Order: sequence, then structure tokens, then C-alpha cells
Amino acid sequence: MNEELDSQLSAMFDNELPGAECELLARRLSRDGDLKARWGRYAVIGAVIRAERGVTLEGPVAGRVSAALSSEPALAADEAGQVSGRASAYRWWQPLAGAGLAAGVAAVSIFWLRSQALPGESHIRVPAMVAANSTVALPGGQPALQNTSATAPDSFVVPPVPQRRMMVVPATELADYVVAHSAYSWPVSRGNLLSALMVSEPGTSSTPGGSDQPAPGVQGNAVPNPK
Amino acid sequence: MSADESDLSLVRRVQRGDKGAFDALVLKYQHKLVKLVMRYVRNPAEAEDIAQEAFIKAYRALPQFRGDSAFYTWLYRIAINTAKNAVVSRDRSPIEYNVDRNSSDSDESYDMQGRMRDPETPEGLVLTDEIRSTVNAAIDSLPEDLRTAIVLRELEGLSYEEIAAAMSCPVGTVRSRIFRAREAIDRRLREVFEGGLGRAEELG
Repeated sequence: MNEELDSQLSAMFDNELPGAECELLARRLSRDGDLKARWGRYAVIGAVIRAERGVTLEGPVAGRVSAALSSEPALAADEAGQVSGRASAYRWWQPLAGAGLAAGVAAVSIFWLRSQALPGESHIRVPAMVAANSTVALPGGQPALQNTSATAPDSFVVPPVPQRRMMVVPATELADYVVAHSAYSWPVSRGNLLSALMVSEPGTSSTPGGSDQPAPGVQGNAVPNPK
Repeated sequence: MSADESDLSLVRRVQRGDKGAFDALVLKYQHKLVKLVMRYVRNPAEAEDIAQEAFIKAYRALPQFRGDSAFYTWLYRIAINTAKNAVVSRDRSPIEYNVDRNSSDSDESYDMQGRMRDPETPEGLVLTDEIRSTVNAAIDSLPEDLRTAIVLRELEGLSYEEIAAAMSCPVGTVRSRIFRAREAIDRRLREVFEGGLGRAEELG
């Protein structure tokens, strides 16, 4: 045995070993006869110092207890689990309930903030249709194209930069809120909320069906009509 | 770190079906338990019987142990209740000492190993005395800082942190000192154990 292991054994005997190390050493202790004998001698040393009676190297009762229990079945894991299960059942749902509550509060807050931001409107502001009278200057000194009306479907215009949504609470703050509360929410719901925010954020969606989809009649990334 | 984490790790193993871990718990606490029971019964043999019964009860009740209290506290309660029940059921005074050990000692099936383990037999007493003298001599020969650390731990029951405060040194130093003290004593103890068996057999 190495010195570090012996040092750990001594500390474990005194209940002074960190929990993680205890788990590993307990496993070894229960199987290693030499280690167990040393453990027993540590007990003998303590008993002599305290001037306790019946100090023998094998102890007064250890052998008898071991013999008496040899005919008994080992404690079944499920038997232990029945009792500890009640305690553990009590323990496991606590963080679950906390996480669910936090996620619920976050979701309600998001919907409330959005409803406050855009009363009577869709929460997604459609990128501005090209204004009826907007004029776009083209490079190369070409004549500016003018969007006369939506009834002129053949007109090609460069769509303007999508305007940001008008919200009371900017989406970034909303995202910060969700992130700040993410420690109390389920990863799945957290991911869903963040995904929803990213999708609804103008310019962040790569899907054609997102909020940045151009309105009918306006060709995205249009090029000038050569006509 | 829980103060009882070492015991709990062994308890969890027992609860998962590892009997070997319970042996370690018995080895650790058997002397303390016998000493505790001796407050109720003065007969050492009866105290050992009661301690054995308490350990077996503890083993069977271990699935109900949830770790709300320290293991040794829980074990001691079982031992005290077992001792009280034994005293009541046998209708004996807690301070009475009236047991004849000759009947069991005369049993021819009582082998030499058993006689050596039993501290009340001549062989056991020789070995016990030798263990005591060896441990005490080893402690006396320890450097002052090692001796102080092991005595504060074993006799006074101080934690490493308390010993560190008392000795004005880091906790890691305390751990090292106690370990080195135990190793020095253990070396002498093993010599006794290896030679002790032969000496005790000569007595038989």
C-alpha cells in the first residue's frame, strides 16, 4: 500500500476525509483484507489510548458479528430503496417543482411583456412594406427606381433594411431575463424560449417563414429589372 | 464535508448489499460499544454479547437508517436500548457482576484462537496486556508533536480543525501527524501480532 492510501485511511477513520474520497476508499476497504486489518488496528490503538476494555487485535465482537451475519442475506438494494426512496422521492421533486415554477413564471412574463408591447397587433412586425412613395437610388448613376404602388407587381425594388420591432422591452433584455432565470428552468423549456426569441428577433432568423419574410409583392434581394 | 461522511459511505455500501463494509463499521466501533454497554452491565462477557446483539440489530435496521443523524449516534441508541432491555429481562442490577465464565472456558471445543481473542482468558489477557504495553510504549516513543496530535484525537475526541487550532498548525499537518503516529504504533503492533500468536499458543 502506498503512503497516500494509508493517509486517506487514517483520515477516513477519523471522519475527516472528503466525501468523494470516502466513496472510493469505502469500496476498497470493504474488499481489501489487509486494509481492513489495518483499519481494525487503528481502532485498537484508539481503544488502548482510551483505556477501553477487551482490546484484542481482532476485537471482542467483530468476528462473532461477522459469523452471525454470514447466514443472513445481504441487504437488498430495493429494500434499502424502499425506505430511502421515500426520502429521495421527497428530495427529487423539490428541484423539479422549483424548475417548473421558474419556467412558468418566465413564460408568463414573456407573454405578458409581449402583449404589453404590441396591443392589438401581431407580436411580429412585418418588415415594412416598401413605402408607396419610397425611392431607392441605384448604384452606377442609374435612374432611381420608384415604387409606385403595390399594384405594380413587376417593379423591382431593393427592400429596405428591416426595422426593429417596436417593443416596450427590447428583445435583448427579454433574452437576458430568460438567461438570468435559466438556472431555475428546464433546459428544454429554456432552449425553447431562447429559440423563440431568436426566431422572433429580426435579422436573426434564417428560415424563410420567419418574420423577415418579405411581404407579397416585394421581391427580396431583388435586382433591377433589365427592362 | 459532513463530519460523518466516512461512516455514511460505508453505510451506503451496506445498504446496497456489501456486507464487507459492515465489518469495517464493526471493527471501528466495537470497542466503544462494549465500553458503552459496560455502563449497564459490569460483566465483560455479557457486555460483548449485548454489543454483538446491538450490531446485529443495527445491521437489520440499516435499511431504515436515512443518515439524519450520525451513524455512531444511531448505533449507540440501539446499543443502549439493547442493554436496558437485557438488564430488565434478566432482572439484574446494572452493577451486578455474577457470571461464571468457567463453564464456557471448560468447553473443549473452545479453540485456541477463541481463547486468544477472549480478553478474559489467560491467553487473551497476555495478549491484551502485550497489546497495551506495546501501544503505550510506542506512543511514549513518538515525537512530541505526533503524540499530542494522536492523543488529542483519540482521547479527547477533537476534530482535525480543533487540533490544528490547539497546536497552531494547518489542518493538513494535523492529518499528517496523526497518520504518522498511527503508522509508527501500527508497525510495533504488527510485530506483536505476528509474535503474539506463537507466544499465546505456548501457554495452551
